[in-house]
Amino acid sequence: MTLTMFTLNAFYGLALAMNMFIIASGLNLIFGVLRVINFAHGMFYMFGAYIVFTVTKSWGAPFFVGVLAAAASLAVIALVIERLMLKHLYGKEHLMQLLFTFALVLLMSDAAKMIWGTDQYSVGYPQGLGGAVNLGFVVLPQYQLFLCVVGPLIALAMWLVVDRTRWGRIVRAATQDREMLAALGVNVPMVYAAVFTIGSALAGVGGALAAPRVALVPGMDATIINECFIIVIIGGLGNLWGSFLGALAFGFVVQFGTVWAPNWQDVLPYLLMLVVLIIRPWGLLGRPEST
Amino acid sequence: MKYSVMLAALGVLGAGTALAQQPPIKIGVLYPLTGGGAVYGVPAMTGHQLAVEELNAKGGMMGRKIESVERDDKLNPATASSTMKELITKDKVDIVLGGLASSVGLAMSEVSKQEKVVYISTIPKSIQITTDKLHKYVFRTAANTDQEGDTMAMLVGKNKLTKLCHLELDYAYGNDLEAGILKALPKYAPDAKVVLTLKPKLGATDFNPFIPQVMSAGCDGVISGLWGPHFVSWVKQAAPLGFFSKIKWISGGEIGSHEIAGELKGDYPDNVISNTYELWYTSNDPSHKEFQARLAKKLNTQETPQWAVLGYIGVMYAAAAIEKAQSTDPDKVSAALEGLSIGTPVGKLTIDAKSHQANIGQFWGPMVKKPDRAYRMMEPAEYIQPK
Repeated sequence: MTLTMFTLNAFYGLALAMNMFIIASGLNLIFGVLRVINFAHGMFYMFGAYIVFTVTKSWGAPFFVGVLAAAASLAVIALVIERLMLKHLYGKEHLMQLLFTFALVLLMSDAAKMIWGTDQYSVGYPQGLGGAVNLGFVVLPQYQLFLCVVGPLIALAMWLVVDRTRWGRIVRAATQDREMLAALGVNVPMVYAAVFTIGSALAGVGGALAAPRVALVPGMDATIINECFIIVIIGGLGNLWGSFLGALAFGFVVQFGTVWAPNWQDVLPYLLMLVVLIIRPWGLLGRPEST
Repeated sequence: MKYSVMLAALGVLGAGTALAQQPPIKIGVLYPLTGGGAVYGVPAMTGHQLAVEELNAKGGMMGRKIESVERDDKLNPATASSTMKELITKDKVDIVLGGLASSVGLAMSEVSKQEKVVYISTIPKSIQITTDKLHKYVFRTAANTDQEGDTMAMLVGKNKLTKLCHLELDYAYGNDLEAGILKALPKYAPDAKVVLTLKPKLGATDFNPFIPQVMSAGCDGVISGLWGPHFVSWVKQAAPLGFFSKIKWISGGEIGSHEIAGELKGDYPDNVISNTYELWYTSNDPSHKEFQARLAKKLNTQETPQWAVLGYIGVMYAAAAIEKAQSTDPDKVSAALEGLSIGTPVGKLTIDAKSHQANIGQFWGPMVKKPDRAYRMMEPAEYIQPK
C-alpha cells in the first residue's frame, strides 16, 4: 500500500468513525444515565436524514438549517416519547424496555412510510463542501474533512458539559444513585428527560450529517443500530471517550479490513467486538459492573 | 359434468350474479413493501394492482373476479419462503407472482417446486432460476443476468474499453451478472481485460474502502451491477474526487431508470451508460402510451417509475395463461405458459417453451443532460431484445 493510499484509507476510516461517533455517543449517553437500551436510536438517525431532505429539497433551505431542524425535531419527538411513555418504564425489567423501544421502531418506520413514502432520496452536499482538497500527494473530499472536524468538536463539547458543569455533575450522579440524588432535592425525572432528549437529538444530527454521503432509503436505520451497539460495546457502556475510541476502532477496522480482506467485510465489525469482549468484557474504557 | 355445464350456462345468463357467486381467482404476490427494497417493491406492486383493476373492469378471468393477495417479502429469502407457503396453504392462491431480489426469487422458485404451484418471477434476474434450478412451475418475465451481461459486454466493445474495473454486489444477482459478463466479453471485446474485481456487500452504504482502489487501478471503464441506493451512495462518495470524469461507467441494475435520474438530478454523474425496462418518455410499442397514461393517473405524476411495468406484465401473463388453460390447475397453467405470447406496453413478448424465459428487452443508452430539464434522460434509448 502506497503512502497515498494509506493516507486516504486512514482518512476515510477517520471520517466514518466520526460520523458513527456522533450517532453512537447519543445511544451511549442514554444508556449511561437511563440504563435503557434504545433500539429506536437507528430510527432517530433515519428521521434526522429524512428531515434534512425535506428541509433542503422541499423547502429549499440551506443544509445547516436542515441539520438544526433535524436536531430540534428529534429533540421534540424524544421529549414526547419520554414524557408520555418511556418514563413509566424506568426501574422495570429490561425486557419491558426492550419491547417498548422495539415497538417504537415499528411505529416510527410506519410513520416514516406515511410521511415520506418509500421513494429513494438523496441530499446534495452543502455549498462549498462538495469538492475535494488537493494536498499534493493525496486528494481528500471536503465533506469528509468537515466530518473529521465536527466529530471531535462534539466529543469535546459533551465532555465539557458532562465533566465540567454543575448539570453534568448531576447527570453523572444520576448514573450512580438515583434515590440519593432525588433526596438531595434534584428533579431526577427532568434530568432523565433532558438526557433522553439530547441523546436522541445527537442521533438526528448524525443522520443529518450522514445524509449527503448516502442514499436515503427505508430501512437505513437497521444497519446503523447494529453498528452503534458494536461501537458502544467496544468502548464500554456509558463511557463517552470509550465510544469515541470504539468509533475509531470501528472506522479503521471497517475501512482497512474491507480493503485488505473484502470477503470478511460483513463479519469484521463483529470480529472486532468479539476480540474486545474476550480481552475486556466491559469494553476498552468501561468498568466492570459492580453487582 | 352435465351439472357443471348447466351451471356455466346459468352463469352466462345471469352474468352479474354469477360473477359474485363464483369464487374469485386468487393471485398471490410478494414484493418488498418495507425496508430498502420498498423503493422498487412499492411501484412494482402499483403496476400489479393496475393490471388487476383493468382485468376486473373487463370482467375478470373466465368470468371470475380476480382477487390479489398482497404480501411483503421484506427483501428476505426466508420471509419470502414462509409467506409464500402461507399464501398457498392458507389463502389457497392459484398462482404466485413477484419477488425483487434474486435471492428471494430463488427461494420462491423452491417453494413453487415443492408445492407444485406456478410462480412467475417478475423482477429477480438470477440466471439460475431458468437454468440450473429450472422446474416445471417456474417462469420468468424479467430479463436475466446472462442477457444483461451480454449487452454490457457488447457495450464494452462498442466503447472500445480495454482496461476494466468490475464492481458487483456480493450476492446471487451480482455473482451471476459477473459470470454473464465474463462469458460474453471475449465475443465482443477480445482486447478488454478485467484488472480489478471488487464486491461490496448487498446493502452497503459506505464505499470508501473501494473507491480509491478503483481510482488507482487506472481503468478506462467500470462495469457495474451496483443498483439503486448502492449506485447513489457510490456517486455521492466518489464524485467529489472527480471519479466520473476519467472513466466510462457501464451499468446494469436499471441505473438508467427515471427513478434514479429524477432523484439525483444535478448530482447524476457524466459518462454513465445504463439500462431500464421502461421509460415514461420513450415508447417501443403503440400500447405504451395508454399504459403510461393510466399509470400516471394512478400515481398522480407524469414521470412514472419503470418498475410498475414489471408488476403489470406479471399479472397479464398469469391472466393470459389461465384464460388459455381455461383452468387454474397448475399443470395446465404451466403448459399454457410455455410458448405463450402476449402484447405488453413494451412490445409483444413470448415465453420460451424450454427455458421458461420471456424475451423481454431493455432500453440501453447514455444518460445525457437536457437543457430544459432538471434531470438527465436516456438518449438515444435503444431497445435491445434477446434473439
